[in-house]
Amino acid sequence: MQQNPYIPITMKLVKNLVETEDRLINTFTLEFLNKQDEENFKYMPGQFAELSAYGHGEAPFGIATSPTEPGILKFSVAKVGCVSNALHLLEEGTMVGVRGPMGNYYPLEKFKGKNVVIIGGGFAFTTLRALAKYMLDDKHRGDYGDITVIYGARNPGLLLYKEELAEWENNPNINLVTTIDRPAEGWTKHVGFIPSITEQIAPSSVDTYAVVCGPPAMIKFTLPVLEKLNFTPETIYTSLEMRMKCGLGICGRCNIGTEYVCKDGPVFSMAQLKELPNEY
Amino acid sequence: MNNIINEIREKARQLLAEGKVDVVIGYEKGSLPLKATPCFVHSPEGVDSLIWDETCENNLAAYAAKTPGKKAIITKGCDSRALAVLLQENQLVRDDLFIIGVSCSGVIDQRNILAEVGEILEAKISDGKISVKGMEGDKEYLFAEVKDATCQTCRYPNPVMEDLHIGETIEVAQDAPAFADVVALEEKSASDRQDYFKEQMSKCIRCYACRNACPLCYCQECFVDCNSPRWLTGGVNRAENLFFQAGRVLHLAGRCVDCGACTRACPQGVDIRALNRKMTKDVYVMYNHEAGIGEEGKPALNEYTTNDPEQFLVKE
Amino acid sequence: MKISKEKFGQAFDALVPEYQVIAPVSDANGIAFKGVKSFSEVKQDYLNSKLPPKAFFFPQHEKLMSYKKEGKDVTVKSELKVEDTILFGIRPCDAKGMQLLDMVFKNDQYTDPYYFERRDKSVIIGLACSKIAPTCFCSSFGMSPAGSEGSDILLIDLGDSYEVEVITEKGKALAARFEALSDLSAEEQALVDKIKSAETASKVDVANTTSKLDKMFNSPFWDTLQEKCIGCNVCSFSCPTCHCFDISEEVRKNEGTRVRTWDACMAPLFTLHGSGHNPRDNKKARWRQRLMHKFNYFVHNNGAMACVGCGRCIKSCPVNMDIRQVIDGANKAELVVE
Repeated sequence: MQQNPYIPITMKLVKNLVETEDRLINTFTLEFLNKQDEENFKYMPGQFAELSAYGHGEAPFGIATSPTEPGILKFSVAKVGCVSNALHLLEEGTMVGVRGPMGNYYPLEKFKGKNVVIIGGGFAFTTLRALAKYMLDDKHRGDYGDITVIYGARNPGLLLYKEELAEWENNPNINLVTTIDRPAEGWTKHVGFIPSITEQIAPSSVDTYAVVCGPPAMIKFTLPVLEKLNFTPETIYTSLEMRMKCGLGICGRCNIGTEYVCKDGPVFSMAQLKELPNEY
Repeated sequence: MNNIINEIREKARQLLAEGKVDVVIGYEKGSLPLKATPCFVHSPEGVDSLIWDETCENNLAAYAAKTPGKKAIITKGCDSRALAVLLQENQLVRDDLFIIGVSCSGVIDQRNILAEVGEILEAKISDGKISVKGMEGDKEYLFAEVKDATCQTCRYPNPVMEDLHIGETIEVAQDAPAFADVVALEEKSASDRQDYFKEQMSKCIRCYACRNACPLCYCQECFVDCNSPRWLTGGVNRAENLFFQAGRVLHLAGRCVDCGACTRACPQGVDIRALNRKMTKDVYVMYNHEAGIGEEGKPALNEYTTNDPEQFLVKE
Repeated sequence: MKISKEKFGQAFDALVPEYQVIAPVSDANGIAFKGVKSFSEVKQDYLNSKLPPKAFFFPQHEKLMSYKKEGKDVTVKSELKVEDTILFGIRPCDAKGMQLLDMVFKNDQYTDPYYFERRDKSVIIGLACSKIAPTCFCSSFGMSPAGSEGSDILLIDLGDSYEVEVITEKGKALAARFEALSDLSAEEQALVDKIKSAETASKVDVANTTSKLDKMFNSPFWDTLQEKCIGCNVCSFSCPTCHCFDISEEVRKNEGTRVRTWDACMAPLFTLHGSGHNPRDNKKARWRQRLMHKFNYFVHNNGAMACVGCGRCIKSCPVNMDIRQVIDGANKAELVVE
């Protein structure tokens, strides 16, 4: 029999880092307790896992690490509900439950030989970070063309992974564009909403895939910009959020038409979404 | 009855044609014998489906606040009491309501009929008699024999507030409520009562039909759904079920209009009303209050007066 | 082949020590499937149970695992315990319902161990319907009151004996325990033929419903369809194919269990995101989901409709929402050109 998919593995919370200055997002670094668990947890960027805060419940979060970073998993979690609040309060060293990996992932096979534009807003940058990190890895960098990341937040303090962003700034393998909504003291990079910055940067759509994740309003206004740049629905991907429980396509709440976001998603192309009912 | 139905249809037609309301909420013939079903009529052409008889068991006040726009509602005595409480609690705008009042001599409780004749194939109501053809046999009942328990103790068959009355009103004695059913339960020994409620609560499947059928259960987030704090688990057992039912009854203290909608909605035949009635009696005895018997006033526990009893604060 | 009820009862009683035996009994609230110790407890003449027997594979409240926290450490334990079970007297609609649930609890990626451990360790003895209620409409779905789909053994009541049809290998193994089987008389054969050819009087036309629904997501049909629905969970809980569930934790100090409980698409909280966004934030969207899921999405995903025509939702609905009328309404609804 396959492993019971409802039983989490136990992982150790080795770091509970306050990620943003509003203190609403923390990044948890979890360590595998043994090689076997790690072996069984084969994942790709875009997949998610159900995190258990024992005593409170479990909830799904995108995996922010790339499989090229062994030994650990990272999750950046906003404090919104009962489970995420409990996770934020955990002391380092606490054991947590992890069920996964779940769902599909960004179509990295298709991206091979192509340029990739990653567009992210707010705290929806987690699996996008995983995607960029994966493609930037020495073993994979050669498989892809130009990598452009356009990432924005309301203000500089709300950007995730600041150290990493600083490193990417000086990395010739990646073209990083960061932006904030309104001017702020000491900020020397772009100012403006993602859609208009994307329009300014105007990444070429030739041999290029775009991956867009962020708040609904950002996605809504970014898509027409990409269309103007001649990206087709087949070349634009996004990752959806849904209320989920089982993560196995059984409990019935995360469907959009015939598709269960937990099992058949969360990554969909715009072409796929156009075929589905507008109910997400 | 036919005159009442014609008048209801005529009035509904008029209200819709003149644009005075957007929808008339009433009853139409259901898909099963002895079942009426709520219906929403949006245009004058639709009014001929409206009916009125002893099968109109739902409390349509439950739809009042959830239905947008101006609405006319076919309203029995108990329904009007629910509307009154909703108005007292600012859940409704009076000007959005047109109350078509109808006096009600009670509705049919199918349960006993089903137990005797099996699934009902056909039924006919005439002259206070109900003749039923069932899978296990045929039988004729007097209306009084199959009248819902709630209706047997009803003191407000006539709407307490209305914009128009259709049909005749029903004479009622003006005496104080007797609560004979509650007294009978109170006189049982504690262990008998416990056994009774254990049996009742073991039947509940927590489908929340009672809550959703209740015109006065309108909380945005019901305590049973709240997850922080989590008041009760999803466990379906006597203790959890009783916690739910007792919690609901306490939330309805001084507000329950004793319409029986919860008990009729229950697919499992739980005697929810036994709890409600006890609470209704206690509120009456302590506060001399009956919920929703007029447009004015406040539910007993929404108001403080210096005469309020305080037995529950100080145990003597 | 047939077996006298007396002999069958003896075989039944002999199985009790080896199996958890579930059968229809009469209780305070009508007919219910419950554990029995003897054939004499079994209700012989019944239409069907008030609630579907799905709860024996998919309990309304079920422990998935338990855990214990000690300081920063935690120990986790699976709570899967299963007994060999015989379900006796399952009506053909409910047996078919189990087959439909099988399609849910096993998909292209996962198998639900809690459901399938129980399912695999159970034998279903179906009992054909000799009487058909006015709310029965299984014949709409190519099924019949004496259908054998989903049963391991199908019995047909012949008065003082049962006709025995062995349907599966599992059924064959169990039927080996029945002794003194004899041939049917011509008269009995005629009765069997009659019961097997019976159809429900009530039928809905579902021939084109799925393809019609393909085009109906934005139809105004949903606007008025659901007005009278009060949004309770009766229809879902009484449905042999509804399977939605919630997962939550029950905690006592430093110990707890993770449980799953029946949930339903009619509940507003079912799809509410942590952010406050709700993709199905109104009754119209929820009713559309209910109907689409049963008669469209499920068909596309599994090749069958997720309704067996048992009629329980019709009988139990507090406001008399009748799924037959709803399907009929969808069939007749005008399509809007978008």
